[in-house]
Amino acid sequence: MVRTLLVAIWLVVCSALGGAAAIAVADDAAVATDSAQQQVNRQAQQPLNNAPVWRGVRSGAAHSTQATGREAGVLIQSAGETWRQIRNGPITLIGGLLLILVPIAIALFYGLKGPLKLHGQPTGKLVQRFSSWERAIHWSTAIAFVVLAVTGVLLLFGKHILIPVIGHAGFAWFATIAKNVHNIVGPLFIFCVACMFIVFVRDNIWHGIDWEWLKKAPQVLSGKAHVPSGKYNAAEKGWFWGGVALLGLVVGASGLILNFPNFEQTRFTMQIANIVHGVGALLFVAASLGHIYMGTIGTEGAYKAMRTGYVDETWAKEHHELWLNEVKS
Amino acid sequence: MARMKFLCDAERCIECNGCVTACKNEHEVPWGINRRRVVTINDGQVGAEKSMSVACMHCSDAPCMAVCPVDCFYKTEDGVVLHDKDLCIGCGYCFYACPFGAPQFPASNASAPDGRSTDWFGARGKMDKCTFCAGGPEENGSQEEFAKYGRNRLSEGKLPICAEMCSTKALLGGDGDVLADIYRERVTVRGKGSEVWGWGTAYGKPDKQSDAGSATGKAEQSS
Repeated sequence: MVRTLLVAIWLVVCSALGGAAAIAVADDAAVATDSAQQQVNRQAQQPLNNAPVWRGVRSGAAHSTQATGREAGVLIQSAGETWRQIRNGPITLIGGLLLILVPIAIALFYGLKGPLKLHGQPTGKLVQRFSSWERAIHWSTAIAFVVLAVTGVLLLFGKHILIPVIGHAGFAWFATIAKNVHNIVGPLFIFCVACMFIVFVRDNIWHGIDWEWLKKAPQVLSGKAHVPSGKYNAAEKGWFWGGVALLGLVVGASGLILNFPNFEQTRFTMQIANIVHGVGALLFVAASLGHIYMGTIGTEGAYKAMRTGYVDETWAKEHHELWLNEVKS
Repeated sequence: MARMKFLCDAERCIECNGCVTACKNEHEVPWGINRRRVVTINDGQVGAEKSMSVACMHCSDAPCMAVCPVDCFYKTEDGVVLHDKDLCIGCGYCFYACPFGAPQFPASNASAPDGRSTDWFGARGKMDKCTFCAGGPEENGSQEEFAKYGRNRLSEGKLPICAEMCSTKALLGGDGDVLADIYRERVTVRGKGSEVWGWGTAYGKPDKQSDAGSATGKAEQSS
């Protein structure tokens, strides 16, 4: 009984799929015949008027050809022009401005406010903040990120900045290295980001206290107010979720599409991927400047934490009070 | 000053792929690379089938040139878009930008012109494309130029081999003004005067009995 039922379901599914496929094939054929029929009709009314054929040329559809290769049957692919306008326009211009203005803003902030200093005296008692495993992941990701950022920026802006200085041959030498290094380090970076997500996600889960921190962020950053936070404060969690997780995923996935053109992906896919990759990567680099600033000269003691893995108890109390309490208890 | 252009007459192209073969043979283009290809629209549909040959169109505002991160493209005084393979890094951006699919890359397992393997990931080798039979930046007619870009016919006073070999003269290559004159003459002779493109819209169908009927067959042969 059950078996009969299963066979019946199987037959229904198969016939439905078969029917759908048949309809799809018929549709394609109908479209092709329509366009051909239009051409035949047009020729009858206006001999030598090939407007329907030229519409076919312009449509970007694949036609017949003896040439092998991806999209060989496409005569005109129009989206490349859009890609060119977006890449050579806003991505280069706004992206370039971003990479100039963000460091200026950080320098101004540093000049006006200076680094976040400890209020109390260091106790000399050390607390472990990062295990050697966590630091290894952080630094491999960081090094891969910097390598990718430098080579990526070189490939996008080098034409405008370096060619006038070192000439075409000199720049091509750098660019060849940059392209190959970028393509090889890229997948390593994705691996690092995946490890980082797994290891760091537990302490980055958003809590109610993080809203409090965000509301008072300006005062906290200028050292006027104190909101206790867990192992990571709201800004660090923002960097984790928005930067590492989201941008890491977006830039990583789009990068893989561009890095491995071995899967018959079309030009259109790669044009989209390139735009997503460019926008995502520029935002990633701009945001990373903030993270690098806060982790080095912006916060006293922060760099040592990631370098050695240990922080002073005073530092822990002033920056991550809830975490310190948790560790001590 | 000449402005070199290609023109493919869809009324004449018979999809013989002679241009493709001539190009491959003349330049000894590696496997997997077609600098020129023939595409047929409405293939097999009686009365609607048209073929045309396509390669680099040597655009005035060339998209490949605009997006190249190492600026390896240059334009000759004849308007031919050429590139320097010594500078090319194989990023594929010209291939994203070109509407005609002209830039080609040595496929996986192939090698760069200097023999190095390029089979890293899906890494592309140095880009290759139609040069309008005008070679590259190396010395005209040199061995290096031939190895990287193929023959430099323009420097010998010859036109592109694809157009020269075209059996129906569907594909024309040369100075744009000369091509325009040839094509204009074809269009005026082809069909009948009263059926020149677009007239049917304004003036209705031609009279089958008088000026239209007799000319169709003749026009097909003479054009």
